[in-house]
Amino acid sequence: MPVFQTSFRLLALVALGLAGVAIASPIPTESPSSVQASLDKYWQENLSGGPPKDGIPSIDKPRFESADRADRWLDDNDRIIGIHRNGQTRAYPQKLLVWHEIVNDTLGDEGIAVTYCPLTGTALAFERGQDELGVSGRLVNSNLIMYNRSTDTYWPQILAAGIHGPQKGEGLKEVRVIWTDWASWRERHGDTKVLSRRTGYARNYRRDPYGGYGPKSGYYAGGGTLFPVFASSDRFAQKKEIFGFRTADLAVAVVPEVLAAAGQLRFSGKRHDFLIIHDPGLDTGWVFRAESGRLPTAENLNDIEFSRSGPVSPALAGLDSVNAFEAMWFAWYAFYPDTVVIDDDRD
Amino acid sequence: MMTAIESSFLRLWLPPIVGIAYGLFYLYVIGDLTLHGPPVWGAFLTEPTLERLLTARATLMFEAIAVIEMGWLVWLFSPLNLLLTIVLSGLLAANIHGVIYLRSRPMSCRPASGSVAGALPALFAGGACCAPSLILLLGIPGLGAFTAFFGWLMPLSVIALGLSRVWQHRLGAPPIFRILPTRIWTATPV
Repeated sequence: MPVFQTSFRLLALVALGLAGVAIASPIPTESPSSVQASLDKYWQENLSGGPPKDGIPSIDKPRFESADRADRWLDDNDRIIGIHRNGQTRAYPQKLLVWHEIVNDTLGDEGIAVTYCPLTGTALAFERGQDELGVSGRLVNSNLIMYNRSTDTYWPQILAAGIHGPQKGEGLKEVRVIWTDWASWRERHGDTKVLSRRTGYARNYRRDPYGGYGPKSGYYAGGGTLFPVFASSDRFAQKKEIFGFRTADLAVAVVPEVLAAAGQLRFSGKRHDFLIIHDPGLDTGWVFRAESGRLPTAENLNDIEFSRSGPVSPALAGLDSVNAFEAMWFAWYAFYPDTVVIDDDRD
Repeated sequence: MMTAIESSFLRLWLPPIVGIAYGLFYLYVIGDLTLHGPPVWGAFLTEPTLERLLTARATLMFEAIAVIEMGWLVWLFSPLNLLLTIVLSGLLAANIHGVIYLRSRPMSCRPASGSVAGALPALFAGGACCAPSLILLLGIPGLGAFTAFFGWLMPLSVIALGLSRVWQHRLGAPPIFRILPTRIWTATPV
């Protein structure tokens, strides 16, 4: 069996090489510069999460069903990870991903890996080309460390950077996903397809081993971290959800309640200004970036509408979109201890 | 002092009852057996290949190949997990039988009932997704650093129960393969 697997992987590697497929680009400028300096530390400090490599099986042949059919087993307040890309809309229920953590999907002709780490409450998607991501069974700062099957490089999900293996130092290209509830997602995307429970694996998808999200209970509701972290802060409860984004210059954590109350927030970094827009329909945020002093004025942003792809307004044309995602505070701080926090009392 | 009838009853029924209860609880802590509502009835196979059968999701814990829903009870059926559960439960039952047998003998050298404590480590080996059940239950900060160790608790139980049963045999308890006939013999009314 191992001989067969090794041979298969070698063949896959050769095939990928011949096809010129690369799943990872050089480390993107969006990553904070501090990340590169500590790549070795992330690998040295990784811990076993319990299961062996692929002991938590990724879903590599996902099946989907209609929203009407999924309504039979999804509650309105069930959390989902949604994606709208290449004209296709899909929802990956958290109650399924808590058992698999990675779905190697294809939207249009584009390979996308949708990933979820229950211990840090983070959902991110990445371009994967024709490669696949798998669950390594290792954790750092409680965060899932993924590996890619063609080169066996290891990538912490939040960092999205290779920390060990041939592609060490490179960064995965991120794709925006939405962490919201099923009712909100369906309201925005009525024709969404939903990941089927027919995953090919035997799991009790009615049970979340960590607790629940509707309302929050168990691990998700509070308490301390299970695994050691590089840095910690008691500014917020450890499991409090923040909305974060990071660039080459900085990392920013936004308190969701503050964003929801304000509707829009602005933040000036060293080289860029940032506009953070609250999406009331999905209860998430969208982040845009412009050169310093180039953000549209608030008066020009009164006509924002929310399409299937996010906020739309003539004033937003020409702004760069910055990927952002929700995370538990302890995990965000552990990876980005120098983070800026946008709270009621900004600092 | 136990009467002969009490001793026969305990020797006949207590080991299998405790063994079965332990086995069910072990399947529960490793996540193969769960209680969950609302009640559903049904069963389906996933991918019953040899490769899937042998795929480990943790140390000595294997992938299930079928889901069996029995009302509030959901059983993720893994033949290897079931086999290991039978081994663990059988060893525990044999240890209990050994304790009862030796305690009923008028000898000064009686084994401590603690010989069955070897069954405990395996109950803490049960894993959820990303962390052992015990860690999730206790929520002790930093305990996750020892996660890799928890994977060896199940084999530790097998070894501990096996060694204690050998020790019981050296003290005079019948060997495991003779337990069943002995039980039947002792249960026969005089």
